[in-house]
Amino acid sequence: MGVTKTATEATPTSALLERERELAVLREALRAVATGAGGRIVLIAGEAGVGKTALVEALCAERLATVRVLWGRCDSLFTPRPLGAILDVAVATGGALERSTRGRVTPHDVTSSLIADLESEPTILVLEDLHWADEATLDVVSLLGRRIERLPTLVLGTYRDDELARQHPLRRVLGELTVRRDVSRLAITPLSQAAVTQLAEPHGTDPGLLYDLTRGNPFFVTEVLQSPDDAIPPTVRDAVLARAARLEPAAQQLLDVIAVTQPKAEMWLLEAESAAAQIDAALVSGMLESTTSAVWFRHELARLAVEQSIAPGRARDLHRRALERLATPPSGDPDLARLAHHAEAAADGAAVLRFAPAAAERASSVGAHREAAAQYARALRFATDLGPADRASLLSRHSFECYLTAQDVPALASIAEALACYRGLGSNAGIGATLRWQALALLNWGRAAEAVVSAREAVSVLERLPPGHELAMAYGALASLATLDYDLEAGIAWAARSIALAVEIESAEAQVAALGMLGLAESLQGSPQGQAHLEEALALAHAHDLESQVGRTYVLLGMAASRGAALAHMRGYVEPALAFCEQRDLDVWTDALLAMRGWLELEEGNWDACAGTVTQVLARDCILSSTQSRVVLGTLRARRGDPDPWTPLAQADDVATRSGQLWWTSQVASAKAEAAWLQADSETVAVATDAVFARAVELRAPWPMAELAWWRVQGSAHAAELPDDLATPFAAQLRGDWRGAAEEWARAGFPYGVALALAQSEDETDLRRALEISHGLGARPLATLVAQRLRRLGVRDVPRGPRASTRENPAQLTSRELEVLALVADGLRNAEIAHQLVVSKRTVDHHVSSILRKLGVRTRGEAVSTSRQLGLVEDR
Amino acid sequence: MDTYVIVRRSGWNTGAEFAESAARSTVEGDRMPDDIAWLRSYVLEERDGRVGTICIYRASSPEAIRRHAGEAVLPVDEIVKVVDTVIVRPDSVPANA
Repeated sequence: MGVTKTATEATPTSALLERERELAVLREALRAVATGAGGRIVLIAGEAGVGKTALVEALCAERLATVRVLWGRCDSLFTPRPLGAILDVAVATGGALERSTRGRVTPHDVTSSLIADLESEPTILVLEDLHWADEATLDVVSLLGRRIERLPTLVLGTYRDDELARQHPLRRVLGELTVRRDVSRLAITPLSQAAVTQLAEPHGTDPGLLYDLTRGNPFFVTEVLQSPDDAIPPTVRDAVLARAARLEPAAQQLLDVIAVTQPKAEMWLLEAESAAAQIDAALVSGMLESTTSAVWFRHELARLAVEQSIAPGRARDLHRRALERLATPPSGDPDLARLAHHAEAAADGAAVLRFAPAAAERASSVGAHREAAAQYARALRFATDLGPADRASLLSRHSFECYLTAQDVPALASIAEALACYRGLGSNAGIGATLRWQALALLNWGRAAEAVVSAREAVSVLERLPPGHELAMAYGALASLATLDYDLEAGIAWAARSIALAVEIESAEAQVAALGMLGLAESLQGSPQGQAHLEEALALAHAHDLESQVGRTYVLLGMAASRGAALAHMRGYVEPALAFCEQRDLDVWTDALLAMRGWLELEEGNWDACAGTVTQVLARDCILSSTQSRVVLGTLRARRGDPDPWTPLAQADDVATRSGQLWWTSQVASAKAEAAWLQADSETVAVATDAVFARAVELRAPWPMAELAWWRVQGSAHAAELPDDLATPFAAQLRGDWRGAAEEWARAGFPYGVALALAQSEDETDLRRALEISHGLGARPLATLVAQRLRRLGVRDVPRGPRASTRENPAQLTSRELEVLALVADGLRNAEIAHQLVVSKRTVDHHVSSILRKLGVRTRGEAVSTSRQLGLVEDR
Repeated sequence: MDTYVIVRRSGWNTGAEFAESAARSTVEGDRMPDDIAWLRSYVLEERDGRVGTICIYRASSPEAIRRHAGEAVLPVDEIVKVVDTVIVRPDSVPANA
């Protein structure tokens, strides 16, 4: 049969059907790993029962003699065990890895131990059912992905691609991993009708009917064919249950126990339930797999069929017994997540309140915040009889875990409920702190108007109490709200008030937060001391080890640089900041910094990388970072002349409008105006900017005022008289100083800006340069526009774009790659090449690795000699 | 997934060159099955004696099409989204069938 695979089943087995291509891919990956060509990750996707595990087992069976195989599976608890799959692996390896998983651990510690272990010998690491993985396990997978090229390891991750909701955390990891060359995806499809026919033949079963029933799912095909009846069972579930029904009653009951005990039923637990003979009887049913220590269902579908067939009363009873036994295991600590699961299924409220919050704390401590939120939510379902103070505390912790995992609706609901509890208790400290927390959450979800209300009330409540940390933070929240609305005077005043109090009560956190916002507000005003304050805040955050504040301050530095004179410094903040935040799982700030990286890549003309970054941010689903990335995506499409720039811009517009903050509305309005201008749609340029421009002028917001005025002039809309001392490149363009603006954009390393500025010139040389840059970027609409202007000037030989230049050389290098290759041949280092071509070093790194890949070589030296042989660069 | 037309004018010197590209395109397309599905292509006889194509793809986004083109080293002149299909008669028989 196609998927039968262990000795526990007494049916004849044969080679896997229709898996030659997939096996070949896996063998090739394993060969690469075994020959030292670097590690590989293959992500194997397909529906439940399609044969993902069977495929992996077939590969492992071929190679077991030479390569170690480690196997970890994620389990299908409502709320999975943190690091579940990795714990399985640790049990198998023992040693330092096993020791590292005891006590309080972080994904980083575990990954370090795992990597140390993997370095020791060539290994196939199988991580099964990643769609069920907890966040901590996914973090390990993600970290492993960044190191895989240096490990002698083939990681095979299986998952059900048809069960991933849009917000499923695995999507983020898939998005990160699949942009890498050493990671590939393998989609496993069900069997064809021909294969099903081949399988049905010896059984005399109607193949057409069999195919319709099973749609080629190998597990179902096998299950159906193995039911002893001649007729095909009416449903596949019946096939599973019929198989269970063939067991003796005692073994059937044991099967029920195994079905409810997740992820595996320990042997000691089964022995407490039943005699050894019955365990053996259940094992030969062919539905189970086992080791000496545990038993589990081979197929989740079978487990589900059995579990759902158990009567509700008996199910509760089974869970209650499992809870009792698992609470006192013969060795080691009880697994809190499993206890909470069984407590809920047994409807034992007291046990849920005992185990679920404890499981949540444990999950949170290893960075599995999604699981922590789910455990708190589980506790809250049973918290109706809890006192208001305990309940409020549970609600606050729930809201915090939801906040960290970008679940806005449950977070805000829990905050509101906690607030009601504290109001009922008359606890001003509780009310003030919760309101302050509510303001921050609302601000981060783009609901500024409501955030202002909460922050003001927080201040008025907290000012009645002895001054403290919460009040300083509340002043800081008001500073943020004012600054992001470009009410910079108010922002500076609130920040100063927060700093004064923070210094007095010695709250470093509040001081750093307010000092950073002060720096941003001053920078947005164009004042040079803003930069100094931001750097002071960063140093202070580092000095006090305030990791989250370090991340936040980096984001503020990036924001200030992007809207000030420090454009050229932005890359210098964003990359080290990302490294810092990624290492410490500071997701909120990582998201914001990734969105900034995407914007930089857009402006630096590194458009393929930009598309990749944007996709990554959108998969992470953080509201404000996604909004920033949608602006970038819409602009990227508009500049390339690709379809559908308006959908992402409209989505960004919704969030920006709801926030009402000029920081957001001005960015969206400018992007819409630019897209409309490239489509020669003056009316939309005006409509998209009317209200936002008026607001920017009213607030005297330097950057938004100049940028919006620039687009309005392009669209022949009215642009008010602006102050003539505005120091931004758009202001230079407005004054008709094309070359001055172009020089500013060039200093920042923003080629599209250079082309856009020069495109306004009446000078043929400027326009030719603008055309050349546009062609180089693939900026078709701008190139068309500039070409028209050149022709209007009477220029005859207007260059057409580069056509199919990739055909002209044997290694299929792009013209930019040829340019880089020539400089590599001249002996230049990447940083020098970056300087010469006015691009970032990252872009050059990217080009060089692409060149090595296309030439099939491993070093720069080999690249140069190979390319000389191919005549790609001149001999010297 | 939406349907897109991808214009690649005069992308190849010869039909043989295009055939090589088609093979690369298939390999790279198989690496990103969630994002790209190549439906069909019309191979064009260009005035400059070269070979171009009009390709019909289903794709998750314009960016996915460009990523695929980058990996498979295919030129892209223009990407246009298809909003509706009117089929009057089946396609003509492929030239190499």
